Amino acid sequence: MPIQILLIAAIAAACIATWKRARERVIRVPEAIAWSIVWVAAAFVILKPETTSRLANMLGVGRGADLVLYASVVALFFLMFKIFMSLDAIEKHLTHFVRKDALRDIEKQKK
Amino acid sequence: MRTIAIVPAYNEGSRVWKTVRSVLNFVDEVIVVDDGSRDDTAVQAALGGAFVVRHAINRGQGASLKTGTEAALVKGAEIILHVDADGQHDPNMIPTLLEPIRQKEADVVLGSRFMGVAPTDMPVSRRIFFIAARTFNSLFLGIPRDVTDPQSGARAMTADAARRIDFTSDRMAHCSEILRLVTRSSLRWKEVPVHVRYTPESLKKGQKLSNAARIAWELLVGSARR
Repeated sequence: MPIQILLIAAIAAACIATWKRARERVIRVPEAIAWSIVWVAAAFVILKPETTSRLANMLGVGRGADLVLYASVVALFFLMFKIFMSLDAIEKHLTHFVRKDALRDIEKQKK
Repeated sequence: MRTIAIVPAYNEGSRVWKTVRSVLNFVDEVIVVDDGSRDDTAVQAALGGAFVVRHAINRGQGASLKTGTEAALVKGAEIILHVDADGQHDPNMIPTLLEPIRQKEADVVLGSRFMGVAPTDMPVSRRIFFIAARTFNSLFLGIPRDVTDPQSGARAMTADAARRIDFTSDRMAHCSEILRLVTRSSLRWKEVPVHVRYTPESLKKGQKLSNAARIAWELLVGSARR
């Protein structure tokens, strides 16, 4: 089916991009391996959609596609929360430096 | 006891001078934390007689209070007082806030708008916000319900208490965070009535009903980081 070809091509591109990033040392090798497992699992589900249906039935969800959708929502929410957390950490670092700069003179006077 | 007031100020050039002058009547020193203002807040504060500490960029009221508190500790403060820059807090309340600490009855004194002294011109929306905040605080943060003012900005504390209350919220959630830290610690705390006057200018900057969700979110992210 054309949709399968399109999705597999996208996953192949994602896999290549992941390992390119690993070679550039933007991400670590274990991270690249973890992402590759995700991509391979996604490719497997695309090529054999009935596997998700079997899993969905086991979990009491009607269709495989629904299960993938539910899992995606959970995964996206988790990723989004992680991004918020790292943003918050960056904000805290920024405040720390702004405070350090603001108190520089007063600390000097004390010494 | 050497008392230093911290006044966080962001674009308060038109009002900070008056606030500094009136607060100076009751304390030994005023530290204004100019939170990256784009107007002449720093100049006006210095003209008023305050020691000015400046954030290079805006970091929020919580961050400013923390910077000011650290500055006050370096300067040898024995009592630290937090006051808003917009003139919303009646400076005549300062002795009431300081008295329990001077009498060694409390380590932290929180000013409350809901202890009998009626606030001037408080809008209904603000009142609803405070009821919601009080419920949220007690349900989700474990702040006792006997804390009558969930978002009080006027507070006084000993230097030792200031060192122990390690609040990290940079923006709006700091009031709730300070209350949580104080009421869960072994510090002796007390609420005293304060008078607050609402003006169109102070309402523009203060807590709004729409901020409630943001405060809750800040507290959630903040607690997840710990």
